[in-house]
Amino acid sequence: MFQVAKATFLRNTLVMLRAYPWSFVIGHILAGVYTVLFAYFAYTHVFAGQLDDRFVRYAGSADYLSYVILGGAFYSFAVSTLMNVSRSLITELREGTLEAMLLTPSSRKGYFLGNVTQQLMRTLFEFSVILLVGRLFGLNLAGADVWSAAAVWLLSTGAFFCQALVLGSVMLRFRDTYITQNTLFVLMAFLSGVTYPTAYLPEWLQPLSQLLPLTPALEAFRHSAILGQPLSASAPQLMHMAILSAVYVAVGAVGIRRMEKRVLESIFG
Amino acid sequence: MFLVENVRKVYRIRERGSWFSRQWKEVEAVSGLSFAMRPGSIVGLLGVNGAGKTTTIKMCCTLLEPTSGSITVDGYDAVRCDRQVKALVNMIAGGERMLYWRLTGRENLQYFGSLYGLSGSRLAERVDTLLDLVELREAADTPVERYSKGMKQRLQIARGLINDPKYLFLDEPTLGLDAPIARQLRRQVKQLAAEQGKAILLTSHYIHEVEELCDEVYIIDKGRLVAHDTPERLTRSFCRETTLRVTIPVLPDALQRDLRQLAERHRGTWDVAETDQQAWELTLRSEADLTAPLLSLLAAHQSPVLRLVTEQPSLEDVILQMAERRSA
Repeated sequence: MFQVAKATFLRNTLVMLRAYPWSFVIGHILAGVYTVLFAYFAYTHVFAGQLDDRFVRYAGSADYLSYVILGGAFYSFAVSTLMNVSRSLITELREGTLEAMLLTPSSRKGYFLGNVTQQLMRTLFEFSVILLVGRLFGLNLAGADVWSAAAVWLLSTGAFFCQALVLGSVMLRFRDTYITQNTLFVLMAFLSGVTYPTAYLPEWLQPLSQLLPLTPALEAFRHSAILGQPLSASAPQLMHMAILSAVYVAVGAVGIRRMEKRVLESIFG
Repeated sequence: MFLVENVRKVYRIRERGSWFSRQWKEVEAVSGLSFAMRPGSIVGLLGVNGAGKTTTIKMCCTLLEPTSGSITVDGYDAVRCDRQVKALVNMIAGGERMLYWRLTGRENLQYFGSLYGLSGSRLAERVDTLLDLVELREAADTPVERYSKGMKQRLQIARGLINDPKYLFLDEPTLGLDAPIARQLRRQVKQLAAEQGKAILLTSHYIHEVEELCDEVYIIDKGRLVAHDTPERLTRSFCRETTLRVTIPVLPDALQRDLRQLAERHRGTWDVAETDQQAWELTLRSEADLTAPLLSLLAAHQSPVLRLVTEQPSLEDVILQMAERRSA
């Protein structure tokens, strides 16, 4: 498995250095930066720095700018991970290399592991740029528990990876990337507490937000980065992520295998 | 030993229905097909479009699962032990797919080699050997997107050999290639069977390629096996007619009448067409050799002969006959 992961990591790095569509990276950074700018201007100029009482109760902090900037950065990180992993097989299909890959006895886990570790480099870069820009607009990480935040970040990668397997199988099923991924990304931005706590959502929508790994991941990350809490303080969120990951990875693994078969049958059938 | 026994493949195809109803149609692409491949032999799989050739190859390579029947490769079942089977087989298809265009030729082979579990010096040696075999050593470090069609096809061959497969499946391997490159590929295929003992199954629309390479040929039609023999024996058993083509400058009515009688006497057929050079091309087909009577007839009519060609039946005629029967 690790040999396949290493080979796929190397292959993707070579392709990225030669011909990666850098517009994707810039696009992800801009999406995060726009979230930061929009929140900054709305907060300072529209609401004149006023928050209702509920925000502190829901978020545990009155620092809305740090809240929203981390939300934007983390959202961008989630989108990048989901996109890069979920599109990997459908990209192979479109470029005509899927058959050659499926002919080999290689481990599919290794293949996805190689994809996700390679894209970590890109998402780390994107995340760092958004945080740097966020610093200019009021991001305050003075009290952050850096190690705890880094651990949440890494664990979240795993959770997004598991979710990406399901997204990838849906993409293969419908042979579509654009509508599928963008529908999910809009739902994530709206439901996962990126710019406001999920408690503001109508009650009937709140259970839906709990199905998205971004929701507990963001909560745990903010606990560490804004409130400076240790990892143990986010145990419920981490447990929540672990359960979602287990469900997503089980559904995704079966889904990918079934969709691979279905795609091959539909090519020749 | 590669054994295909009574294999059947049925596709379920969704038909156009309304938004709320689904209708499925079952299409039998392969029906009760059985054949075997032995080390060092080249087997041809022929048939008209839609005969089930590609589906058969994909099932043999574990890309598709048979609906029923079994495929056994050196004792391993292709469905239950697909990983073991994948290590023993590989496939080379015509066209320019199945390669990463942004990687170099060497990087492609290194990546695919890694997917087959090769690493370190073993992988490096294998890649170098294959680059030499397909004569791509000089272009090894050039991205594939800058390769010509022939170079891509040669790299495909190297990719198909990266795991040193015992059983190799070639699906239209020379499709769209220039004649010299196609000839070079055919030479390499022969060498793989003769010198390395690989069992090769070949499908091709270029029938002369199959005649040149294959020790035995399976002909399938609508997924069913309709004939199996050596190319020579198949040709003799299906097409006994010899074709005579004669070009003459003038075609008087009397000669036409005598030609018709000659063909009828020998239970043959005849046809005539005007050529671009304002001459007539006569085509006579018969199981008997009509060369001598035809020349006598032309001499009797004092007709000069501009061109005379005798064509023996070929495997292509077998396929054409089958296609004609199919559409009849």
